[in-house]
Amino acid sequence: MTPGDYFSFAGAAAMTGWVILILGPRRFWWLNAVPLWIIPCLISALYAVLVLRWLSSAEGGFDSLETVASLFENEWALLAGWIHFLAFDLFVGAVMALRMDRVGVGRLVQAPILAATLMLGPLGFLIAALTELGLRLRYLPLQTPNLRGVNHGNA
Amino acid sequence: MAMLDANLHPAHAHKPTQFQTLTVVSVVLALVNMTWGLIDTRMVDGAFVWMKPLKFSLSFILLFATLALVEKRLSERLRSGWLMLLIGWVMAAAFLSEMAYMMYQAARAEASHFNLSTPFNEFMYTVVMATGAVVLVACVGLIGWLVKRDRNAALTPTLRESIWLGFLLSFALTMIVAGYLSGTGGHHVGLHPEGAATFPLVGWSGVTGDLRPAHFFSLHAMQLVPLFALWVERRNFANPVKAIRLFAFGYAGLTLVVFAIALAGLPLIPLG
Repeated sequence: MTPGDYFSFAGAAAMTGWVILILGPRRFWWLNAVPLWIIPCLISALYAVLVLRWLSSAEGGFDSLETVASLFENEWALLAGWIHFLAFDLFVGAVMALRMDRVGVGRLVQAPILAATLMLGPLGFLIAALTELGLRLRYLPLQTPNLRGVNHGNA
Repeated sequence: MAMLDANLHPAHAHKPTQFQTLTVVSVVLALVNMTWGLIDTRMVDGAFVWMKPLKFSLSFILLFATLALVEKRLSERLRSGWLMLLIGWVMAAAFLSEMAYMMYQAARAEASHFNLSTPFNEFMYTVVMATGAVVLVACVGLIGWLVKRDRNAALTPTLRESIWLGFLLSFALTMIVAGYLSGTGGHHVGLHPEGAATFPLVGWSGVTGDLRPAHFFSLHAMQLVPLFALWVERRNFANPVKAIRLFAFGYAGLTLVVFAIALAGLPLIPLG
């Protein structure tokens, strides 16, 4: 498999997750698990093997913008970096979607916020996070009681 | 880490209403646009690119906060019925598509209104933006009519009349002013030279006719008429409902005068 093949595969997997997350129902726990756990874990596993296999052969480093740039001149490192985006953006989107469900943000309003997370990761996350914070400041308790026990598992 | 925990204790869980949620989203977008304004110095048509999305998000805060306050006073039957749910959905869709397109165009340093340069821009302006704008003010008018008819709403007769008339005026005056505005090539009447004096923040021309003040006054009748009613209720007027009607009538006249001043090619207040 070439880097291009991995790129296409990871992209298709991430898009499947985003379509389920933005358009799919939220009634079924197993369907919610697909964009939240299954696809991010799948892409993360791909990232892990790519990094373990190829990172040591790439030039550059993490200590300055120049060394990061030379790191990404390596095609495999560039692929790993892109896959890192795909995995984390989808996971963050899925977590924020379920959090927005909890604070009562409707699916119609969630859709463009999640689309922003898909296209411009941190911008969408920021809007989702501030929306939840705003709802909590104004209409919901900011601090929920320290939930030990039964509720703790309902992420 | 209770603040990070998305689990809400059932005893405290009160689901925010649609308009409360839309108010918060508008606040968030206003904050994002203000932060954007800290670093972006690009201009489009003589204004900072982020100024339009910022102004619209501030206006949406007022719109949705007003609707959230009104919604709370409607009868339970109307508030939880399908019609209010549908209105909320339609307004959310219009609001979100308008803001998304304005921010997208601003990020590309392109105009979002009056921009017919490509088939996509033309479609977005003449179909999506236009429909969104009409839908938003039509929904305001519809809510005003529902308030007038909702006998079990928790509203005094004065407040009820002010909401009905204010919302109706917002709809009718905006259709007149913005309807005319959209048929022209831009908001200036006459020549506004680059760098000429403008009103602070709003950017209305201080040297030539500008249709935006009339647009502003027509949009915000829905806040100003009910605010007048709140003031009237604190003083013992003999006939408060009549005072509201007179005020609404005068407000409509004032808006039309502001509109006429712009059509005559004169600035609202000459600056410089």
